[in-house]
Amino acid sequence: MIAKALLQARQLELSLRPSYPREIATAILRYGAMVGAECEHLPEASRCMDLARAEIQICDREDRSFPSGRVILADQLTGGKGRFLRHWHAPAGGVWMVLTLANTLLPEHAALYPLAAGVACCETVRHFGLNATVKWVNDVLLGGRKVAGILTETVSSSRGGEEFVLIGIGLNVNNTSFAPELRNTAASMCEFSGHPFDLTEIAAMLIAKLSWNIGLLHYTEAEHLAADRGLDDDRPHPLIASWRLLTDTIGRRVRFGFNVVESAQYTATVVDVDPCGHLVMRLENGDLVTESGGEIMYL
Amino acid sequence: MHEEIDYDQFLNQYRSDPFEYIDVKTSHTGRLRFKAAEGDAVEGITGEWNHIKGTLLYHLERERNVKPVHSMDNGVVASVDRALEGQFVEAGETVMTIRHPLKKKEIIERILRNVLSMFVAPERAKYFFALDLQSRIDKHGQRSISIKPGDEILTMSLMKRDTPVMFQGEPGIIHSVYFSPGETIDQGQPLIGICAEEKLPLIQKIIARVKLEWE
Repeated sequence: MIAKALLQARQLELSLRPSYPREIATAILRYGAMVGAECEHLPEASRCMDLARAEIQICDREDRSFPSGRVILADQLTGGKGRFLRHWHAPAGGVWMVLTLANTLLPEHAALYPLAAGVACCETVRHFGLNATVKWVNDVLLGGRKVAGILTETVSSSRGGEEFVLIGIGLNVNNTSFAPELRNTAASMCEFSGHPFDLTEIAAMLIAKLSWNIGLLHYTEAEHLAADRGLDDDRPHPLIASWRLLTDTIGRRVRFGFNVVESAQYTATVVDVDPCGHLVMRLENGDLVTESGGEIMYL
Repeated sequence: MHEEIDYDQFLNQYRSDPFEYIDVKTSHTGRLRFKAAEGDAVEGITGEWNHIKGTLLYHLERERNVKPVHSMDNGVVASVDRALEGQFVEAGETVMTIRHPLKKKEIIERILRNVLSMFVAPERAKYFFALDLQSRIDKHGQRSISIKPGDEILTMSLMKRDTPVMFQGEPGIIHSVYFSPGETIDQGQPLIGICAEEKLPLIQKIIARVKLEWE
């Protein structure tokens, strides 16, 4: 079911990128073709991330290579978690998935995986007619409330030492009931559109968008290597350019913290993101500060 | 680590020359233009969030992009390789040396770095202890925690991607912690100092001796 929908979504994806010459768009999609090449769909799981980790270790024990780009989707999660072990409510009606990629990018490009996932997720919600925005690094918001959360972790296989990037995505689609403490901060697509969505179609579109944006990372790295240049020049990475078009973070007054919920460090105004995707903020005394990690809360 | 430590050698060394000589190396290739001269006093990074840049040392121009390079430490410019002015330099080339005056705390720290095993940051990122290890530290204190190769000790956080960091090195206890969560640590900077458990009394003796003898 998902395979057929994904094929259609990939074909559609090509037509949705008119600003790229056809041959470049095709090359980008080819670079990202491994994303979703293998998909597993489960009726229920505790955490997709844990399943992916276990599968990597099984492959390792059996001296098999883990298929990069493998996606695990679950209809519902019983033990969903975000960063810092924050609970992630994942009942039936949402898209809950993990994408596992063999990390073959150079560190400066691999650092943009979380941004790529945020852009893909935001583009997916927009594709279905809703005006989503992305908040640095990759929270996706609808009407200022979180519609999707992304958790990115790196794991190494215990024997081979090969590094994998796990991108866990939770997208609230048709699920409309949230825990009382989340009612003012969480949103779902259905709630904003007034009608339910076809989950298979949404999941396929999300995988196709991931395929494009991760393909873009690989394509750009290949281009940079060919031209012998890094990310710290004036030409913006095309992914950063996409991110800028989708974000509502620039210009906002924010509270910053490594774990902003538990302990905020300071308040500042966001000035920009730099070519490496780092957040540039102006403190209240006028000084500029650049952060490569941590999180923000809009004020 | 040797049982016998020549305290006098350490202390005499720092008494006769209480400075650290820090080589400033280029981060990438480019054409070099010096902005600081020999004998100039320079300031390092300051500010509550380490956000105020230090003194401008030089410009490095690559493909018409000019990158200003600022001092990371305070001190005096001890030497400048003037022959490189206006030249195209490779990455990792030493272009100047800063003489940084050491305080008592820094001297203790440097002596300890000679006798502790340092575990350094694999990348410029933010770090925090692995959750399991943090709860053990909270309960028992860092100097009661033994770690061995292969243990997951830290999580490296970069652009909201968390990567577990495994300990590699001689087993021991966590003697010193050089980072705090939320702070960005440069690649190669020490994160923790490890000490074999039986060597702890020796380390305490070093600290006491320096504190006693250094004015």
